[in-house]
Amino acid sequence: MKLPRVLFVTGKGGTGKSTVAAAIALARSRRRPTTLADLDRRLSAAAMLGVMPVDGTPAKVTNSLEVVALGARAELDAFIGRIVPIRAISRRMLRSRTFGYVTAALPGLEAFLLLERLRIMAGDAALNDRYLVIDAPASGSAVELLSVAAGVRNISPTGTLNRIADSVAGFLADPTRFGAIITVTPEELALREALETEATMRERLSIATIAAIMNRVPDSLFDTAELAALSPLGSHARLAVRRNGAQEAALSGARRLAQAGIATVNLPMMFTPAMGIDELEQLGQVLAAELLER
Amino acid sequence: MKSKPRRRSIDLKALRLVVCVGPGGVGKTTLSAAFAVQAAALGRAVDVMTVDPAPRLLDALGLGADSADPVEVSLETLRHSRRIQPHRGRLRALALDPKRTFDSIIERYAPSNAARDAILENRIYRNLSNALAGVADYMAMEKLLELASNPATDMVVLDTPPAAEAIDFLDAPRRLLELLNSRAISLLGAPAGIFRSRLRVVDIAARAVLAAFDRVTGLNLLSDVQAFVGSFDGMYEGFAARAASAQEKLRAPDTAIVVVTTAEASRIAQAREFIEALGRANLGVAALIVNRVMAEMPDGAEILPARIRPTLKKKLKRNLADYGALKTREESSLNALRESLPRGAVLMIAPDLGREPLTIADLAEVGRSLGPR
Repeated sequence: MKLPRVLFVTGKGGTGKSTVAAAIALARSRRRPTTLADLDRRLSAAAMLGVMPVDGTPAKVTNSLEVVALGARAELDAFIGRIVPIRAISRRMLRSRTFGYVTAALPGLEAFLLLERLRIMAGDAALNDRYLVIDAPASGSAVELLSVAAGVRNISPTGTLNRIADSVAGFLADPTRFGAIITVTPEELALREALETEATMRERLSIATIAAIMNRVPDSLFDTAELAALSPLGSHARLAVRRNGAQEAALSGARRLAQAGIATVNLPMMFTPAMGIDELEQLGQVLAAELLER
Repeated sequence: MKSKPRRRSIDLKALRLVVCVGPGGVGKTTLSAAFAVQAAALGRAVDVMTVDPAPRLLDALGLGADSADPVEVSLETLRHSRRIQPHRGRLRALALDPKRTFDSIIERYAPSNAARDAILENRIYRNLSNALAGVADYMAMEKLLELASNPATDMVVLDTPPAAEAIDFLDAPRRLLELLNSRAISLLGAPAGIFRSRLRVVDIAARAVLAAFDRVTGLNLLSDVQAFVGSFDGMYEGFAARAASAQEKLRAPDTAIVVVTTAEASRIAQAREFIEALGRANLGVAALIVNRVMAEMPDGAEILPARIRPTLKKKLKRNLADYGALKTREESSLNALRESLPRGAVLMIAPDLGREPLTIADLAEVGRSLGPR
């Protein structure tokens, strides 16, 4: 299977979305120049890769990997800048309270401009033979963001905006260009949210999900007989049960995802005192072997 | 050291309102429910409300989805435990659908049927009112006041929606009022020339941009927004009064705002931002709760004398080292958090149960085990 050029990484809060996005970007950049678009205001994926991009200017991690910070507000600023070319006026406008109210009252405008920006970046990536990885917001907000294009089409049946919305929606629904990756952990709530997210994206937005990434799966260490032998050992036994429990939850989670037609890739729990670039490299290698270069 | 009296926890016997805020995925809903179950177990009449778009709280409390009115939660399973005396306590839970609450408020406050219909049929309202300047958050505040003013209720626990910033939610009433009260909005919609003398240059520019946007897009959003705001004429006073009492309620001495986080580095950074934002808004943080903290590691010395096979001993050692590394990671996060604890706030630890708390008994266990560090 050939993966689309643009991978959109989302998932329930706390499932390691930014970590996975950073690891995917790192792995993809071994093959082709890659851009990681960080939509998270705190830029945690960028921070893990050791860079701090500002103002939409890409920050270089390696020769083939750059990180760019995207924010809805910055896209609005850029949009205003295009319409009002006199810098002094556009700047004062953006600071004015009135303008704040009006943009707050034009719902979805900021998000829509952000989506359009992603579509343009995807076009550039195709022209320059690059990959684009998006560290998207948590699944609830991500679905909201992706729905904006359809929403704009509904309230604006004709005109330029409608045409832009059309091409954005078309881009999102084209599995050769765009695909979602959903992060999940071996936990019931995270699993349920992954299933809901995939269903919503498929049914309402026609967006293809490439895979679920089951994050933080401990490697198998104890078999059933060993666990039974351990039971008199109290807290050591509990720690062993915990490890096995997470393993089993990951297995049954993958089964339920498979029933819904979603492939799952397991990422190992990194038993290290800190998450750094070495850990990302290791996760990236697993992702390359199991998903990106299959 | 701060010279404040050492508190163990927040006082669930005396508080009237507990508000849980925090980033997504840290277990706000679970902890809100745990506080509520705990307070009910102490004999209080408690309502717990979630504004989470996915009503998982109701799930955990064994209720059906979409409960806009409080539903009684059975505490029967707790009555068997001798540690709890819930005979006087009661617990009700509800999940707020902001859109529905908004509809009912419009119906209640609209000065006329025509005004009501104008709002309910406005395109902005119909399609997108939830995105409009914190309307959803405002609605939660409305509902909160309604619950809190019920004399039969001792305490309300509020589970806020996951927010990028803590202040988004708590500040919503003020933002909505500013929008509704904004004369500039009406001016923007008025024909050019009439008000020109009163408009500042930035307003003219803003208007030009939005007019251009409308022209290019064919949306006519501006006139819809103006009509939407205009249709609130005559309702403003009622909204303003309720927003003011919501703000007062949040700052009352028997209200506790609780910031929830987990020990992951990225969540800790977010929690710090929450605390700072709350401080700037003059909202005191009563407690910072770190959720899902791992239990203390077992003693490695116990492994050697155990009567098990050597290969299994080796595995136990490895397991201990593995989880020990994660514990170290967690400790350094907790230390960073201790340094940013605001004055007067207590740091509480909610231990990891080793499973997801999905039953009332689980929630009660989390509630009981909440302790200071």
